[in-house]
Amino acid sequence: MWTDEQRRRLVLEHEILQREGFTQFSVYWYRSTDTYEASGAASSNSGRAYSLAIPIPSGFPYQRPPMYLTEPFPLYMFDGTRVSSLGVSHQMHTLAPCSNGFVQLCHWRDARWHSNILLQKVFLKGLLWIEAYEQHLATGRPLAEFVLTMAERA
Amino acid sequence: MGDPQQQQMIREAMKAIAERKPGRSKLVYDKTKRTIVAVVEGAQTPRALNITADDADMFAVVTVSSRWLREQWPQIMRDRVTSTLFSSWDDGDAFTQCNLGIHPAPSIIQGAVLFGDGIEPPDGTQLRVILTPTQNSNLDPSTFVAPDGSTHCAEGRRTSNNSDEAVTAVFVDVQPALATRRAGILETSILSDKSVLVFGVGTGGAHAAIELAKCGVGRLILVDPDRLSVGNVVRHPGGLSQVGRLKVKVVCDLIRDKNPDAQILTHPVALTYANVETMKPLIAQADVVICATDNRPSKLLVNKLCIEANVIAVYGGAFRRAYGGQVLRVRPRQSPCHECFVAAMPEESTDIEVSSVADAEEIAYSDRPVAIEPGLSLDVLPIANMVTKLALMELLAGKPSSLSILKRDFDAPWYLWLNRPEPGTQYASWPPLSESSDEMTINRWYGIYFERDLACSACGDFTSALAASYGIDAASLETLSSLPSKE
Repeated sequence: MWTDEQRRRLVLEHEILQREGFTQFSVYWYRSTDTYEASGAASSNSGRAYSLAIPIPSGFPYQRPPMYLTEPFPLYMFDGTRVSSLGVSHQMHTLAPCSNGFVQLCHWRDARWHSNILLQKVFLKGLLWIEAYEQHLATGRPLAEFVLTMAERA
Repeated sequence: MGDPQQQQMIREAMKAIAERKPGRSKLVYDKTKRTIVAVVEGAQTPRALNITADDADMFAVVTVSSRWLREQWPQIMRDRVTSTLFSSWDDGDAFTQCNLGIHPAPSIIQGAVLFGDGIEPPDGTQLRVILTPTQNSNLDPSTFVAPDGSTHCAEGRRTSNNSDEAVTAVFVDVQPALATRRAGILETSILSDKSVLVFGVGTGGAHAAIELAKCGVGRLILVDPDRLSVGNVVRHPGGLSQVGRLKVKVVCDLIRDKNPDAQILTHPVALTYANVETMKPLIAQADVVICATDNRPSKLLVNKLCIEANVIAVYGGAFRRAYGGQVLRVRPRQSPCHECFVAAMPEESTDIEVSSVADAEEIAYSDRPVAIEPGLSLDVLPIANMVTKLALMELLAGKPSSLSILKRDFDAPWYLWLNRPEPGTQYASWPPLSESSDEMTINRWYGIYFERDLACSACGDFTSALAASYGIDAASLETLSSLPSKE
């Protein structure tokens, strides 16, 4: 299923995460299913704990990988409704949620994704989303007010 | 019918007009009589003859496929008659044998070809084509050459409302007739052994596929999961009568109506990673791939698969509202690929047209929808034409053709076209077409050069280059031991 080039790329992605200080994130290889996932814990500036997970799609790096916020679960908005209930939302910068309800964070849209984008940058956008999310919780204002629309350049 | 001499003069005049050469008589407009008349040239007192409604009826034409008749010849020799169906067009002004094309008229009539007058046609026959052996070596469209070399002149007769009227019979040999219009530019069968795979047969892809078929490309593979909608019809070559059909089937029929010998394979499947194993063998069969899809993921997927298969690909796309467009030709590992293009020109590569709900969903959030934008077929076709031409140049590579001279003109990897200086774009300040001699303007193609990225993730060695930039030994990436694993 995976090409040698894909496997080399995933090993490199892991190495870059470690070397660039994103040591809380790793690329994991699931032996039994021969699948990959990049995931790890993230702490916000306020100290709250979150978990991010990026299941690696078969077409990676040409195919955009989704990024899910897996903890806390469920994830609530300021008004107590679930973030996942919004679906694809500009106000909260989310894409279609996972079938099990995990919120999918918008990092790059399909129309903007290209294979030179590193997982490190995807996690970086995840961390920015978390900070904006906490501002939303603190103020009730839409998350979109705290982050600019994703830049077109990688 | 009027006087036989008048009929003959009108027939000659019409023939001369059709063949664009002077004849003994000609048709002119008589201002005093306010009608078209036939006059005999060279006569001291030109005799003007009014064309009556009866005369006009005389010009009804029945068209029969020569190839079909050759195939039927043993049966005609045995039974003296063979039946066939004709499309009746324009209130009986033209009768086209249904075998010739795939689009019949709303009215179909029963016809028969008879070997000699006096043969009784089958019941229900409304149109007869009667063959009479002739020694006349002057082959005109009414003369048929049988497989045994004998020649036969044909007369058409139509039975309608208890009357029996003459109809001009014409035989056509489709492929030779089509080839004569390409002769000297595209040699007869130079492209008949070539295969082109077209991903996306919307307005641009359909147009490119049909144009290539008209050029004589022998095999076309069409891939598109969509069906023709009413909204498509204003731009797509398919019409309202085709709404609801799969686009690949619509385009297949349009091609068959232009090049009946073309082999066409249709695959109504989506161009996604889930269907990669379906796509790979299709790409492997193609001499050139045309990617006329309208979203980046599909283009990058085609790019990856074509580089792997070492197949040349041509990518075409319109900018939003079709204010312009671009064409990229990728010769794997020789010229920049689509990933190189995205990296080199991110702005240009993301300016895509929003012409369908799927396109809009690709871009929009559900709480901030993007409207489907209008765009004119008129503005898409220049881009489709360029895609076709670049594909044609690749198909002709290494073959003797008068089009080879264009090789120097189509050397660049990327081509830009603007239909209008769209406000809000980097092109808004372009000078008017009429005032510019050396600045970039609308309605001109610009071939633009940029370098292939040797560290491209699709056509280069991105991983090694990236590893080096981080001081990582690329050789260490070969093992999985450095990755944490889970069961």
